[in-house]
Amino acid sequence: MAEISEAPDSDSSKLFGSDSKAPQRPDSEPEFDPKLMRKTKPGLKRLFLTFSVLFSFLLGFPFLWKSVEIYRSPLPFREIDSLSTQLRSDTLLFPLHFHALFVGFDSDPDRLRWSILSEITKLTSQNPKCSDNYTLSVTVDLGSRCLRGRTSSPHSSSYQCGSVTGGDFVQNDDVAVDERLASVFGGKNNEYSMAVVKGVSERAVVGKYRHAWMVVGDGSDVEMAVVKVAEVLIKVFINGGREEGLIRNEFMPVGADGKIVLSFNLLNADPHDWVYDWDFEKIDDTLLTPMIEALGPVANISVESQVLYHTPKASFSYWNQKLESYVFSTKDLPFFVNSNEWHLDTSIAAGGRSKILQFAVYVPSAKECPLLLQLPNGEISKTNGFISPMWGGVIVWNPQGCLRDSEFKPSAKNIIPIQDLENMFEVFIGQFRQLFGFKSLNVYTGASGDWNLLPSERGFTEWELDVLSRQHTCFNLHSCATTLGSLSRLVQSLPRMIIKDEIGKQVKLSLEAAKLALSNASSGVYESSAASSSQARSLAEDAFFHPSIMSVSYYSFEHCFAVYSPFFLPVSMHVVLAALRELRRYKQEKAKYLAWKAKANTAT
Amino acid sequence: MACNTRNKYPAQVFNNENHRLNLYGDNVEVDYRGYEVTVENFLRVLTGRHETAVPRSKRLLSDEGSHILLYMTGHGGDEFLKFQDSEELQSHDLADAVKQMKEKHRFKELLIMVDTCQAATLFNQLQSPGVLAIGSSMKGENSYSHHLDSDVGVSVVDRFTYYTLAFFERLNIYDNASLSSLFSSYNPSLLMSTAYYRKDLYKRRLEEVPVTNFFGSVMETIHTDAAYKALSRRNSGRFEDEMSLDQSVHHIERRMLIKVNDGYEIHDINPEGEEGASKCPWSTFRNKFQKAENVDSLVNYGLVAMIPLLVISTWLVQ
Repeated sequence: MAEISEAPDSDSSKLFGSDSKAPQRPDSEPEFDPKLMRKTKPGLKRLFLTFSVLFSFLLGFPFLWKSVEIYRSPLPFREIDSLSTQLRSDTLLFPLHFHALFVGFDSDPDRLRWSILSEITKLTSQNPKCSDNYTLSVTVDLGSRCLRGRTSSPHSSSYQCGSVTGGDFVQNDDVAVDERLASVFGGKNNEYSMAVVKGVSERAVVGKYRHAWMVVGDGSDVEMAVVKVAEVLIKVFINGGREEGLIRNEFMPVGADGKIVLSFNLLNADPHDWVYDWDFEKIDDTLLTPMIEALGPVANISVESQVLYHTPKASFSYWNQKLESYVFSTKDLPFFVNSNEWHLDTSIAAGGRSKILQFAVYVPSAKECPLLLQLPNGEISKTNGFISPMWGGVIVWNPQGCLRDSEFKPSAKNIIPIQDLENMFEVFIGQFRQLFGFKSLNVYTGASGDWNLLPSERGFTEWELDVLSRQHTCFNLHSCATTLGSLSRLVQSLPRMIIKDEIGKQVKLSLEAAKLALSNASSGVYESSAASSSQARSLAEDAFFHPSIMSVSYYSFEHCFAVYSPFFLPVSMHVVLAALRELRRYKQEKAKYLAWKAKANTAT
Repeated sequence: MACNTRNKYPAQVFNNENHRLNLYGDNVEVDYRGYEVTVENFLRVLTGRHETAVPRSKRLLSDEGSHILLYMTGHGGDEFLKFQDSEELQSHDLADAVKQMKEKHRFKELLIMVDTCQAATLFNQLQSPGVLAIGSSMKGENSYSHHLDSDVGVSVVDRFTYYTLAFFERLNIYDNASLSSLFSSYNPSLLMSTAYYRKDLYKRRLEEVPVTNFFGSVMETIHTDAAYKALSRRNSGRFEDEMSLDQSVHHIERRMLIKVNDGYEIHDINPEGEEGASKCPWSTFRNKFQKAENVDSLVNYGLVAMIPLLVISTWLVQ
């Protein structure tokens, strides 16, 4: 285009001679140089045209940007970070209150309190993740009056003077004593009581609720009692009778959505020999349901059962003449579960993130009956069962009289006798407790003596449930914080990944539940803090495992650039160049016109 | 492969031309086959990001104590593995998936065995601790198949896989073979390539790790010492009671299957919420459009609007 506009100029110069330097015009216009001057004002049409194209491109650019924008729901990154730092720096503190009652002793309660506290500090292990903030109050009951020690806790002791006497402990019925003490102490949520009584026979018992008692002989001194009191408070009430107080992850069999499915399976190894069935509903109602209700705050538990046939085991056993039975050893236990033939995980009610715990009763075939488990020290196992952490447990049950096969005529369908079923379920409950890390022996052997542990019909005593609630709250909160931290790091590292609204909502709800759990825990309400903490963890896991966060499905920014640039770059280059060229030309023409005008003005 | 229409022995895959072992036998559980074997599904299995409807048998249900064996075989090259002749798994994708698994504690130890050409390059980018990886060949080398089964018409097994299987067939259940014996059993002249393994991320010494750590689905077991004897105090006569009618009704109520979707209220949230953030006028227009039940009237309006255009254009042409 520029050539066309210059053509008339060059033509006009050609018309007037080839000398284009400074053709002399004898006319009125002095020194008109067509290369440096022009007579008419330069038009704006060309400039307008090119600039309108450029502006239309620029105008369309925001629309293009918006169309390739991806939707990212805003996540509260700062709050996630603050939750992580809060959990890391201040360890989660559970407030506990201990109350020690001494009956029949003549000692100063403040001195007793001081010595108990010093024993406790010797025993407390450093637990970096979650620890307990305890207060202690001591009461000495002299019969006629009570001496109450100085206490730093705001809890006023509700103990009525004289309610507990030495005569309560004369009979040896631990359960009755336990109930009596429960009515005296009350047993509120985070208060643990300890009664030390002078009496005839020495006995040390931990009850089903939140108290324990100790009967010491006349000759023993208070210091021994103090050591034992400290030990039971720390090792039993706080740590649950386990060795370390640390949280070992393999004893947390709760699914990411806070649910556990207990799957009970009766395995008939060889149905040609005999087929056994069981009356599961009765046992479920009477034995399992109270336990499931008791564990409500910790996990949402459901129960399923099935009977399977043709399920041989994968390991071997050998005939032992002395025991007159087939024996398998603990070396065979890792190979016992035959994952090929035992189709255990067929639950339809369990969601993808629930935890399924398998409890299997193995009925051996006639070729291997009776089947007994021999321990490494040569003894035969009393339970004939074993567990695998985070998987479940197996019990081997031998049908009655399977050795004397001439007399034993199995009918088409046999039912496992009720007494055997009850024993089996006691072992199951023992295994279930073992999966949570609790032992089922009725004796706790401490450094300073033995304590009898009273069992509860619900499978877990109140103080054990407290230990579980505290432990699970701690674990769930830490897991929630690390999951949310991982999610925020992942989201920030992939700037072009779509974050749906659902994920944003789940993160927000999870943070709210975590805050609620923290506040409940610090005020001592264990059950609701356990429930909120498991909800927080479940929501955080839902957000992290949302199926849309797959990095392989999203393109990086370089990819986007590589897709659009082959179209836009050449076109925009041409448009911009054209605009610039037109601008330059306009400026040149304008300068030429102004020069001519100046010349014309000076001439006139 | 087993159900490929070109397989002469349908649903059977052999490791040897003598057809002794059927690797697709009764006890083998195959969860993903055919068109489901894609890079996306593979990474979903590793990271655990499935849709809610995916059944448990198709998920990797591992936790922080699990030992996982990942065995990959096929065609591959420098930092990639070929999937289905149409896509590739890149080494950085695999490393990223393993990193996410480790962050979520989805494994304690992971063994990756790769049998492709230039297999050792596939785990170049791994950084997570607790991972042990071995490949059948190093960069620049090819891995070869072992022998050809002229009956079926293809090579039945690759060399690395053949020698691995031979090693395990020699063991019995009580042998305590270690991983170092497995790794040193590979002879480069027999494999025709160098089997290279990477143990810098794995803290334990290979001589101390038994092969059953990863192979054989062997479980960690603890003996149960005692039963919980609280219940023997109860009268055993309770069980002989006949269940009364109201008890049985109560019983039936408890037997109902628990609804799985109880806790998933969030999933019921209207998905329109996502679209609300996109261009507003367009979405309101679309909403109005969708709400307009009478689509026919809209079409009629459009047709009517076209008539003046028609008139103008005919007038211009004339």
